[in-house]
Amino acid sequence: MSDRSQMVFTSGDQLLQATTRRRFLGMLSVGGAIVLLPGVFAACNNDDDNDTGTNPTGTPYKLDLSTDIGILNYAYALEQLEAAYYTSALTSAGFAALSANEQEVLSDLQKHEVIHREFFKQVLGSAAIPTIAFNATTVGTLTASRDVLLRTSQLLEDTGVSAYNGAGKYLTSAAYLLIAGKIVSVEARHAAAIRDIRDGANGRLFAGDDVVDASGLDVKAEPDTVLAGVVSLNVVTSPLTIGTLPAQSKRTPDKAAPTPQ
Amino acid sequence: MNTQSILDEIEPDMVERLAERKNEIDQGSPAPSGIVTALAIGSVPIALAALSRNVYGQTLPAAIKSVLDFALALEIFENEFYKAVLGTSSSAAQNAAFAPVRALAAGVPGAVNTLQQIQKHEAAHVATLLATGATNVFNLDATTFDFTGNRSAGGGGAFAKATTDLPFLLEVAQGAEDTGVRAYKGQAANLMSNSAILEAALRIHSVEARHAARIRRMRRAAANAPTDVRYSGTVRGGERAAAGGTDLGPNPTAVGAAFDKIYGAGANATTAPSESNTTHGGINVTSLAAAQFGTAAAQEAFDEPLDRADVVAIVQPFFIPTIS
Repeated sequence: MSDRSQMVFTSGDQLLQATTRRRFLGMLSVGGAIVLLPGVFAACNNDDDNDTGTNPTGTPYKLDLSTDIGILNYAYALEQLEAAYYTSALTSAGFAALSANEQEVLSDLQKHEVIHREFFKQVLGSAAIPTIAFNATTVGTLTASRDVLLRTSQLLEDTGVSAYNGAGKYLTSAAYLLIAGKIVSVEARHAAAIRDIRDGANGRLFAGDDVVDASGLDVKAEPDTVLAGVVSLNVVTSPLTIGTLPAQSKRTPDKAAPTPQ
Repeated sequence: MNTQSILDEIEPDMVERLAERKNEIDQGSPAPSGIVTALAIGSVPIALAALSRNVYGQTLPAAIKSVLDFALALEIFENEFYKAVLGTSSSAAQNAAFAPVRALAAGVPGAVNTLQQIQKHEAAHVATLLATGATNVFNLDATTFDFTGNRSAGGGGAFAKATTDLPFLLEVAQGAEDTGVRAYKGQAANLMSNSAILEAALRIHSVEARHAARIRRMRRAAANAPTDVRYSGTVRGGERAAAGGTDLGPNPTAVGAAFDKIYGAGANATTAPSESNTTHGGINVTSLAAAQFGTAAAQEAFDEPLDRADVVAIVQPFFIPTIS
């Protein structure tokens, strides 16, 4: 057992490391102090003006993830991103460089993501966040070659899988959970297909060790992790933020979508 | 700023007791292997739940355990299937049965790697489900399956062609994986009262979907494969058509009926729609003005659940003991 009197955590990932976890539990048994710095739960926004779909003032892209509607808007935002990316990709230099079979995949993905987007828009109705604006220049860069197109597609699909897997537990409606379930397996098929294109004849990347861990579990990420990653892509120009986090008592350590190698 | 953590929800002396117990186990105190595995899994909530049950003798709610037991049965089935194909089963007879198709797979670049990767995951799913609290209530092992679909140690069923024909083997594997996706999807709502277990189930469910997609792509890559088997790995159509260009083998009635069950509606078409379904949450997606891509794309964009009894009906022919 550790004989230090205090442990300080700066990130949620630390809870996942075996040595940290052992010390953590040992600390508690001797009445040590645990300090969880803000980075453990990522950015919280104390600003409580208009979360999505309720109060018309202030930014309409602010997500209230403590409600099912907020979680669906989160999914809608991600589907908007994928749909916009693939739609742009269809007329890109990267797409033109793909083989016919590869183009079939990207074409299918574009159709499916647009369908997902329009489905959520319809489900949410007046509670939907508005259409998100995207940075055409950045999207252009991310579709400029076969390589960057496939890497970005892989990242988007793995991120989608991680987002649905991490958000499902926060839904209170079984009907909405089923909807999320019907979509996440399709995103996983997409992810496997893109990975398999990039894999050549190796035959493992579709569900590689970078996404499926030793327990056989796929990626999952908390909404704040996913949105931070999306923002870092620099493709979204609308102010997409979290107004209220989901119930942190249910939070779990992330296994986020990896950067494509 | 809310710094509440999962451990804040637990009484301090309970946490202390859990920590003491964990230290005892780490230092070699006897513990069920499921606990040891749970502690090794990178999921603090699952580890704490397992420790809690070990220390306080709590049991999982019966409804949740039932789902986990069922999932475990399916994962043992898949794991034993792939081990037989790869020749690593503890049953010499099963390994021998699949030797011909195994040799064929070795001639296709990446095929054996794929089968190994899938089997690795299925084995991991077995371990994870045990660690989460499932038990092997049907007493399944390498000898309790008939992969020809005749519930007999002697085989002879409609799917025997899978032992000698690689395209047919891939059809069967695809059917198994797609059944797994539909099964987990249909059970998710039953796990909502335990967020850590629900999340683990979702994370297994998406892995099975990856498997299914890769197998579809392998099938599509074969000469003269039908274009309905999408390179995107998604499922077009319903009933046996959704299996895609299926070779129904020497017993087409039985094999066709099996694929009708895997990809069709379950006994309750409301709770278990056909894979051809395009209406979700009351919305027919083919009617969405800004998403007019035709029926096929609409079918591919969503996967469908199956209820437990439907899955049992699909897989029972491959299980020698009766399952439920």
